[in-house]
Amino acid sequence: MSKEKYAVETAALTKVYKGKAAVDHLNLQVKEGAVYGFIGRNGAGKSTTLKMLCGLLRPTEGDIRLFEKPVGDPMTARRTGCLIEATGIYPHMTAQQNLILKAKCMGLADRESVEHVMSITGLTRTGSKKTKHFSMGMKQRLGIALALLGNPDLLILDEPINGLDPEGIREIRQLFLELNQQGKTLIISSHILGELSKIATHYGIIREGCLAEQLSREDLEKKCSDYFQVQVDDVKRALTIAAEKAPALRTEVCDNQTLRVYGLKEGAWLNQLFVESRIQVYSSGFHHMDLEEYFLSRMDGMEANGKETGKND
Amino acid sequence: MINLLRMDLYRLKRSKSVYICLGILMAATVLAFSMIYLVATPQGQNFALKIGLLDNSEIEEGQAIVMLDVSGIEEGQAMVNGADSLDMFRETCMDGGMFGCVIGIIITLFMCGDFQNGFIKNIMSLHRTRWKYIGSKLAAAGILNFFFLIVCFLFNSLMNLLFHNMVSYAALADILFYLALAWFINTAFSALVILACILTRSTAAGVMTSLLLCGGIIQSVLGQITSLFHMDGWLKYTLYYNMSAAPSAYSGIGDLKGAVLGLAFIVIYSAAAAFFVTRQDI
Repeated sequence: MSKEKYAVETAALTKVYKGKAAVDHLNLQVKEGAVYGFIGRNGAGKSTTLKMLCGLLRPTEGDIRLFEKPVGDPMTARRTGCLIEATGIYPHMTAQQNLILKAKCMGLADRESVEHVMSITGLTRTGSKKTKHFSMGMKQRLGIALALLGNPDLLILDEPINGLDPEGIREIRQLFLELNQQGKTLIISSHILGELSKIATHYGIIREGCLAEQLSREDLEKKCSDYFQVQVDDVKRALTIAAEKAPALRTEVCDNQTLRVYGLKEGAWLNQLFVESRIQVYSSGFHHMDLEEYFLSRMDGMEANGKETGKND
Repeated sequence: MINLLRMDLYRLKRSKSVYICLGILMAATVLAFSMIYLVATPQGQNFALKIGLLDNSEIEEGQAIVMLDVSGIEEGQAMVNGADSLDMFRETCMDGGMFGCVIGIIITLFMCGDFQNGFIKNIMSLHRTRWKYIGSKLAAAGILNFFFLIVCFLFNSLMNLLFHNMVSYAALADILFYLALAWFINTAFSALVILACILTRSTAAGVMTSLLLCGGIIQSVLGQITSLFHMDGWLKYTLYYNMSAAPSAYSGIGDLKGAVLGLAFIVIYSAAAAFFVTRQDI
């Protein structure tokens, strides 16, 4: 059996700022050819991790390997394209001039590569417009174009769809899928989880600098169980009744009218039970948990259990 | 590093500040030539009479004139008498530290731009051997200094020609010697500004460094204070002193002191900037 190849591997990666660990012994593994969704709350350590992968921050401790080579290797740097936080562009220059600037920095002589990335990111019509007059979405497209320059094998993108309109999001999603089909590895950090779930093949959930969970899309599918959601007039009584009659089922109160019941195969009997108990049922039905719900339930679960995992899983 | 330098030169070519600062140096040259012409040459004085800047009695008596006092006239005449084009170039651009200040401000805007708009992330993610970044910036500063020195000197000569060859032309060997010396010292000033920008990433700090250090203000103040205690010998080893006291012609190995000192400071400041940039987070 052939050994699995990793585009990114970190070992006990740590970054400490003023005595506080922003990233704490992170062991990240991203397979070559994966679209890795990197998820976490604000301040969880996503951007710090991505900056270390891009060589912008020096780790306090730990090791990073890109394509099985140390992060400082000049060849791995050339195989990596980054878009970290706000797009780094010169405001008094045009999109093309910014791209030429980076092309020169990379030693790319041909203008074709600049024109190619401009066309695939929808920037060809920007002409002589200076980037200071660009909308946020256009700046984001230029940031993606800069990351794509030189045809890198690994793309590290921090919030790449921020500021894009729905059409732009769809175009960029399509572009990411095409790039992935070409064999490129993508690490995408985003708070727009619904969008991320459309393209990611693997996920990493980071919490307080630690990798809480790393799972594939298939694993997520298995973990995102169906649930029965019922809206009633008295959710407290409904919860008590459900707990009495079906103690094996997991229940969750979402708001003062909504109750979720997990592990239920058939919901009619529960509806009937509520009606018989004079609880008014407004609506009910089965739902499938999505990435956002899974992430939130995972975060809530961890908060409830304290720092559940401590270090990485 | 060559790739980085190509990028820097591409950006310098498109940078407005380069042309604005070159314009300022040229404007200062025009102004200096005009003033000297008016007060120190017969043609200039006649012209000043025509436009009402002087009156006859004042010229005859050698008294104060409307816009310039007697000391100004004497200074101007002294400058023209026995001076050559190199002396004029030194007086108008170099010896007062104006050239160093202007180049320092360009370098500040050039360096801090990378940090302020975040383009540094594109550079540093590609070039993880960070000292090359300093090497490229220093090389760009060296090229900029060379370009500015040549253009400013040629413009000075053009002004001299336009003002009816007010002063004689210096020998080519002396010009080349002085420009080489000035290049070393001003590139060392640029290295100092690069170091300040790497340490602070602040345009304000870079501009202050340019004005206070390249303009000789700090050196003058400290020189005054230390001279009270007869401890001002260190001044001879400052870049500013060597710029203003640089010989205009080569007469012996001792005249190379400014170039050697400039080179030493280039190495020291660049090594310090490279040391700090490799230890910084972006």
